[in-house]
Amino acid sequence: MRSDRHILLTLFPLYSVIVGLFLSGLMMLFLGQNPLVVYRDILLFAFRDIYNIADIFAKAVPLIFTGLAFGFAYRASLFNIGAQGQFYMGCLASVSCSLYFSFLPKVLLLSICLLSSLIIGGLWGSLIGYAKARFNANEFLLSLMSTYVAIAIMNFLIRGPLIEAKGEYPQTDVIAQSAWIPLLIPHTRMHAGLILALLVAAAAYFILWKTALGFKIRAVGMNRDAARFAGIDERKIFVSVFFISGAFAGLAGFTEVNGIQHMLVQGFNPMIGTEGIGIAILGNAHPLGIVLSALLFGALKVGGALAVQVSNISSSFLGIMEGCVMLSVIISYFIRQRIMTVLEKKRLQEESKVKIL
Amino acid sequence: MIIEGLLARSIQMSTPLIIGALAEVLVERTGVMNIAIEGIFLLGAWAGFVGTYFTGSHLIGLIAAIATGTLVGSCYGYITVYLKQHQIVTGTAINILAAGLALYFYRVLFGVPLLPLTVEPLARLNIPLLSSIPVIGEILFRQNVLTYLSIALIFMIYWLLFKTKIGLVIRSTGANPEAVDAAGINVDSVRFKAVLCSSALCGLAGAFYSIGFLGLFTEDIIGGRGWIAFAICFLGNWNPIGAAVGGLIFGIADATSTVIQTSGFKLIPNEFVIAIPYILTIIATISRKEFRVPEYLGVPYIKEGRR
Repeated sequence: MRSDRHILLTLFPLYSVIVGLFLSGLMMLFLGQNPLVVYRDILLFAFRDIYNIADIFAKAVPLIFTGLAFGFAYRASLFNIGAQGQFYMGCLASVSCSLYFSFLPKVLLLSICLLSSLIIGGLWGSLIGYAKARFNANEFLLSLMSTYVAIAIMNFLIRGPLIEAKGEYPQTDVIAQSAWIPLLIPHTRMHAGLILALLVAAAAYFILWKTALGFKIRAVGMNRDAARFAGIDERKIFVSVFFISGAFAGLAGFTEVNGIQHMLVQGFNPMIGTEGIGIAILGNAHPLGIVLSALLFGALKVGGALAVQVSNISSSFLGIMEGCVMLSVIISYFIRQRIMTVLEKKRLQEESKVKIL
Repeated sequence: MIIEGLLARSIQMSTPLIIGALAEVLVERTGVMNIAIEGIFLLGAWAGFVGTYFTGSHLIGLIAAIATGTLVGSCYGYITVYLKQHQIVTGTAINILAAGLALYFYRVLFGVPLLPLTVEPLARLNIPLLSSIPVIGEILFRQNVLTYLSIALIFMIYWLLFKTKIGLVIRSTGANPEAVDAAGINVDSVRFKAVLCSSALCGLAGAFYSIGFLGLFTEDIIGGRGWIAFAICFLGNWNPIGAAVGGLIFGIADATSTVIQTSGFKLIPNEFVIAIPYILTIIATISRKEFRVPEYLGVPYIKEGRR
């Protein structure tokens, strides 16, 4: 009986997703569209054929990374909302390596790209952690602003040293085939980056719950003062958390450049960092939850993008859907908390009655 | 001549930043961060534009912006203050939603226009006598009405916070909510009202970008300036005067970066010139040593035993 209730409660985010989609559906009425038809289209399109189903996974890959980036830091009560910038730095590192080392054999080239995006993303992130540790600077503001600086660096490089040979548009040349991440299913866009994303999610779980570092990170997250009294050097934790978090976001750059785009276009995927925050919240900052939420967002993106094409709904509607879903998930956390408190009270009352009798 | 133009433009550009930062000071003194500021700026810009476009009246545009800001604020305030949910998390959700809503309803109302739709921007009000003072008149007294309002707000909010009983309640709510509660004042109610006031002001600040000087609305019209106002509140040590100084510095940075971009000055690449205000925020955040953070900033107030 009790466990049944528990399962119902853990499924709460799922109900709230439905509520959020319902709320955003109301907005469609303004354009004279039937939300049920649009949602049916989204579902039909998302699962129409193997290509689209594979695309859901392809779209989910970078979201898993940016979701992990926010979720990992969130476990330490740190706010890394600069995943967008770390992602761009990872893109830059990966595309530069792909362009300049294209003569190397595939395995070596891909490893270099992977490592460089991981390290550059991590270093860019750890600058924030370092500033917090050394100067007690506010990491929320710093990570926020670091994205704008990363965008400036990206725009500069892409219009200057990295610009395509034709020199016409702000984008790089297409990278050599040897730098492409191999596909998992031929003729789709699902690439081996998915395996990397799942491995990294598993690694995030392992680091947080199975290592001494993870224990310290969670201790700092739960109570910074208590952690300090226990002899944990919180400043080291700040730097390492931001390195790991930035590295996750940087890896999204690797998979997007080498797995999907095969080039770097100025200002592409501008919402990936913010969506990562939404995904981390939806997934309760747990790696497994993040993977599942990323798949949900991926399905919304794939189905949504196509449904938008056949109806006259603008693509900004995806933002409304994501926002409504996030808000209803946040409210559902409140409701779940309430229900659990009430249940707990009832249980205590019943127990005390039994004792009195 | 160039310097005068630059300074006049700096004052102009600092207007929304000052209004936004003052709004943030007001609400953060009660212990709530208004993280939805970027989204409210954007929706304020949107509502200001739409109101003005359809009625031809700037006043109605400004009222629409204030109303929209308050509406978004009530949503944010309800979830963070009454439902005690995380402020950064809720704010992020609202910012995503706001960006979607602004673009979606722009599309609903106007379709996809070939040329961006425009309205007449707010006229400059030349203050009699004062505006004819050489140099200073040009810089200070030939601005639009929102700029004068922002200057008045600096003093009004300072007076409200430090010279009135309401101000004492506001400051105590952020510094020691238990004491405020013990005095029989409802902490949540104070915080919620502060969120509403601050959101109304932020909506107004957002409208400055659309109808204050550009006269149009685009999706990247705010482009992180809400966040800069948010940062200025921190850097100004939660003090209205500090917020005003910060707003002015960033106004100068904003104006300088525009001037450098349009001039032939090519020593620094344009991409980095655009980033000047953001780099300045980072430097200021790192070098600022003494922060007097309101004690309970970001912590929901939960009465003991009533969880």
